[in-house]
Amino acid sequence: MNFFPQEYFKKDWFGLLIVVLMSGVIISFFKPAFLSSFNLYVLMLSVSLWLVVAMSQMIIIAIGQMNLSVGAIGGLVAISFTGLMEVHGFSIPYAILTGLLIGLFCGFINGFLTVKTGISAFIITLATLYIFKGMNLGITEAQPFYQIPESIKNFGNAKIIGPVPYLIIIPIIITVMMWLLMNKTQSGRNMLAYGNSVQSSELMGISPTKVVITAHVISGFLAAIGGMLVVCRLQLGTPNIGDSWLLPSFAAPVIGGAVLAGGKVDVIATTLGVIIVAIISQALVIFKIDPFFVQILLGFMILIAVFINRYREYKEERRKKIFIYEASHE
Amino acid sequence: MNNLCLEIKEASKKFPGVLALHNADFKLKKGSIHALLGENGAGKSTLIKIITGLYKQDSGKLLINNVETSLNSPTEAQNRGISVVHQERNLIRRFSVGENLLLNDLPKNKFGLINYKLVFERSKEWLELMDLNIDPRTVVSDLTVAKMQLCEIAKALSIKSKILLLDEPTSSLSPQETEHLFTVLQKIVREEDVSIVFVSHKLEEVFELCDQVTVLRDGKNACTSESINKLTRQNLVKLMIGREEQIIKSEKKVVSDQKTVLRLEKINTELGHHDINLTLGKGEIIGLYGLVGSGRTELAKCLLGLEKIVSGQIKINGNEVRLDSPKTALDRFKIGYISEDRKKEGLILMHNVLENAGITIWSKIKSFLSFLSDKAIHAKVDPFIRELEVKTPSYSQLISNLSGGNQQKISVAKWLAAGTDILIIDEPTVGIDIKTKSYIHELIIGLAKKGTSIVLISSDMPEMISLADRVIVMKNFKIEGNEPNSHNYADMSSKIMAYIHD
Amino acid sequence: MFKRLPNFAVTNQFGLFLLVIFFVLFFSFFTDGFSSRFNLFALSRVVAIDIMIGLAMMVVILTGGLNLSLGALGVSAAMFGGWLMETVGIPIIPAMLLTLAMGGFLGWINGYVTVKTGVHSFIVTLATMSIYFGMMTLFTEAEAFRKLPETFTDFGSLKIFNKYVSPLLLVSIFFVFLLFYFFKFTDLGRKLIAAGANPDAAELSGISVGQMFIYCHILSGLLAAVAALMLTSRIGAAIPSMAGNLGFDWLLPAFLAPVLGGTLLSGGKVTVFGTMLGAILVTLITNGLYLIEIGEFWIRFFLGIILLLAVLLDKAREFFAQKSNVLS
Repeated sequence: MNFFPQEYFKKDWFGLLIVVLMSGVIISFFKPAFLSSFNLYVLMLSVSLWLVVAMSQMIIIAIGQMNLSVGAIGGLVAISFTGLMEVHGFSIPYAILTGLLIGLFCGFINGFLTVKTGISAFIITLATLYIFKGMNLGITEAQPFYQIPESIKNFGNAKIIGPVPYLIIIPIIITVMMWLLMNKTQSGRNMLAYGNSVQSSELMGISPTKVVITAHVISGFLAAIGGMLVVCRLQLGTPNIGDSWLLPSFAAPVIGGAVLAGGKVDVIATTLGVIIVAIISQALVIFKIDPFFVQILLGFMILIAVFINRYREYKEERRKKIFIYEASHE
Repeated sequence: MNNLCLEIKEASKKFPGVLALHNADFKLKKGSIHALLGENGAGKSTLIKIITGLYKQDSGKLLINNVETSLNSPTEAQNRGISVVHQERNLIRRFSVGENLLLNDLPKNKFGLINYKLVFERSKEWLELMDLNIDPRTVVSDLTVAKMQLCEIAKALSIKSKILLLDEPTSSLSPQETEHLFTVLQKIVREEDVSIVFVSHKLEEVFELCDQVTVLRDGKNACTSESINKLTRQNLVKLMIGREEQIIKSEKKVVSDQKTVLRLEKINTELGHHDINLTLGKGEIIGLYGLVGSGRTELAKCLLGLEKIVSGQIKINGNEVRLDSPKTALDRFKIGYISEDRKKEGLILMHNVLENAGITIWSKIKSFLSFLSDKAIHAKVDPFIRELEVKTPSYSQLISNLSGGNQQKISVAKWLAAGTDILIIDEPTVGIDIKTKSYIHELIIGLAKKGTSIVLISSDMPEMISLADRVIVMKNFKIEGNEPNSHNYADMSSKIMAYIHD
Repeated sequence: MFKRLPNFAVTNQFGLFLLVIFFVLFFSFFTDGFSSRFNLFALSRVVAIDIMIGLAMMVVILTGGLNLSLGALGVSAAMFGGWLMETVGIPIIPAMLLTLAMGGFLGWINGYVTVKTGVHSFIVTLATMSIYFGMMTLFTEAEAFRKLPETFTDFGSLKIFNKYVSPLLLVSIFFVFLLFYFFKFTDLGRKLIAAGANPDAAELSGISVGQMFIYCHILSGLLAAVAALMLTSRIGAAIPSMAGNLGFDWLLPAFLAPVLGGTLLSGGKVTVFGTMLGAILVTLITNGLYLIEIGEFWIRFFLGIILLLAVLLDKAREFFAQKSNVLS
């Protein structure tokens, strides 16, 4: 019986799954507290948030661009969401709806400017990062909103069963939707085609405007959800939500084997990337290691992932060169 | 009632400084394979771009099925049934063959999700039509160039294209692959009611495949949709270049007691070169002839240290050497390389004439604290730029503003300035007007007479036979033949072709 | 036909210069205290550092890459310098040289990893940003060095030219001229530009492009270290958070100055004076906005808008240049 079909070994996520399982086993062997209910709860909370943030960046990586403003959008939405409820007395559904619309709109601006001006997404989103963040600070004057409705606080705290938080529901839905989008829908495939080669995809009749704007709008939408999830978890809306998102947003997709030039992302592998980052950060806490190590480690993990991806690409190229050479000499 | 599926009437197109097309006509009959010929710069590519909707003609008409039409984008052209088959450019390399064929409209299930089973089933039919025995699940980047090209044709058919434009489709195919391509093309013309515009430099292919021919010269029609039966090879050449094909009768050089400058012994490379043995004498011109993809340029890159040599020896003036980068090749062994792709590899388009011409000598003429003055560079390169008669308003002119011929002169000038002992010259006259071409030929001969050893890579047989002292024929990354040049065209070309096609 | 083509580099810098003049006049008329001795002195101290930050980014943009770790790198180097001066007690000059060496070394790491992996410098410097900043925080335990030698800190508060200008600005101007000379009149400087403009052509012309790119990153590290030392001297202490978390506060001025100055993001073009003018303009506008009492929290918003306008204008200029070319 073939328990592991050969093709699994080739998948990006297979190696990562092994890493997740191994690190889980090793850490819990040394510190059984790792598997404690509380610890798993905390782990799942952090996975929930970073999952949304990573997906928000991943979809932009898919089209071969980058979005520096993910965190700024998340922050702006978070404070708008809480501010609207506290200051303007919006009901929760309206506040959520407005928050999502802001996210969509910010994403639209990014996409529109990128595709219509032809300026690199890096510089556009760097500018909008400061614009969104500036609006955030201008509105709040750097003061947090504290008055959060009880139902939102409860949602942020409650557990479904055992250590599983309610908060994880939305990220799981998003992840499934993203997998379907990238693998099973025309517009997702168009995005990947565009990321593979802008020129080819245009020759194939794919509209760049549509692809780029859709991707950025989805990215903004996810960043908005991310911002509101943080509000649920922190139980307040502070202006610095989103400030530290940049690195993790790239870390998970890159660890998941995404090619930054575009055209190759893997939702499952990105998810596992998020879990790996969360486990390792958590492990450092459990082993009482200086929290600054998390930052250093995250940096190294990105570098190592980049090395591994690069090495695999190199191997693949070699294999193809030889393969094609032989094929044309048959 | 005529049966034209595409017609262009008196089309003109002007660009700054040039009239690229001047009242050009073109008539494509339904179900025919129509050759479009012309030298580089004759207006071929402009005409193609008008047909595919990339450019719009300034004046004149474009008719599809006898209806006047205007095409504003490649997508619009595609919707009207006109598709271009590029080399491997139209495919998404990381996607499967099947998905590529149907990407414009992937079959979906009732939830709007892609049904991959159906994708592969449907695409299989198209592949079978093309006599292509590949699994539609195969990722495109795993295919050979020839198969990619056939996939592109399949794709064009799958979106119901009735007019296919093939631009130099055989340039990197082996003879067998070319044969297969032609069989498929003839089949789809017969069975699928498709018409084909075929652009190629290889006249043999035109005679083998096409039934009609249009030749452009200087933006005008040299002939319009003639039947191929009425023409001979000589006629066609005359139409294309406006005169008879001719070979410079460079007198046979006396190459006595020539010292061997470069010797390759049993070289195997990572790219797949196998057992390469080669010698190059002082002042000798050896020609590397072969089809695109036979490993000539790649061999040059290995000599420059850009690709790895796995085993074997390189000897320069009798000493074994290791070449690890173009810098080592230039600084220590005085080897230079004039690239075939002058825009990408030869020149820095955004820089000016002086900077481009002087780049190879900066390190040589720098003074205290690596100080470099324009004056010193000017003094060094000026004689060469003058000698080559480069037409430029000043040395601070950006290279991108010069004509193709003048650009090529600058990319030659920088190597003359560098004073190399061994010069590898890759396709020196592609895309260059006739006058500059013969000028560059004389220059190469002159260089060799002065003692520079030259490796000439060219796909232009007349050029090869005019210039080379010896012709080395490469095929599949191996050396197949080593033939002293008799400077007799008929004799040499048949010998060379025999090596390639046996 | 060729003669009439204006040199866009010139018009760009000239336009910037006019803008600077315009804003100086504007703020002098419409704000209180813009032209006061105190404000101009404060302005010159900020401009000096922004110029260095802009130049540090410019030399990496030259390669078609970028350096996100600029702030983290600079601060790490300066903290190292602070440690040398305060804890180890090394004299100022050798300590400063070692700081520059540290900056160069960290830049070398960026360059080496980028060149050897062939990965875009964005992701490499994103990672090293985190590593440098994390290491620095770990070593310093997030504590500042506040007892630096007085000669060093005094330099930052020294006032010259009738107390209008900080000598820090002279240091920056010195570097501007040095870099201008370097890129225009030296073999290495030209090779760096050629490598950035067309790596393939440069490599085939006998330039080791990889080496050149590494040099650019080293240079960027050096200049960032200079900027951080100047900042340390200005605040009178080496503080881990002096460039914000992860050194992120430097990022906007770092990109604004070269982009406003007309440096191509795709690489291959440097505009040393343009970058200087860009930095001056940015600082000027920031300062003016403070004085108009726009509210300090909105400043970032406006800087973001300015960056956007700058790139859009650049694009528009390119577009019209092409158009007028076609028409002629």
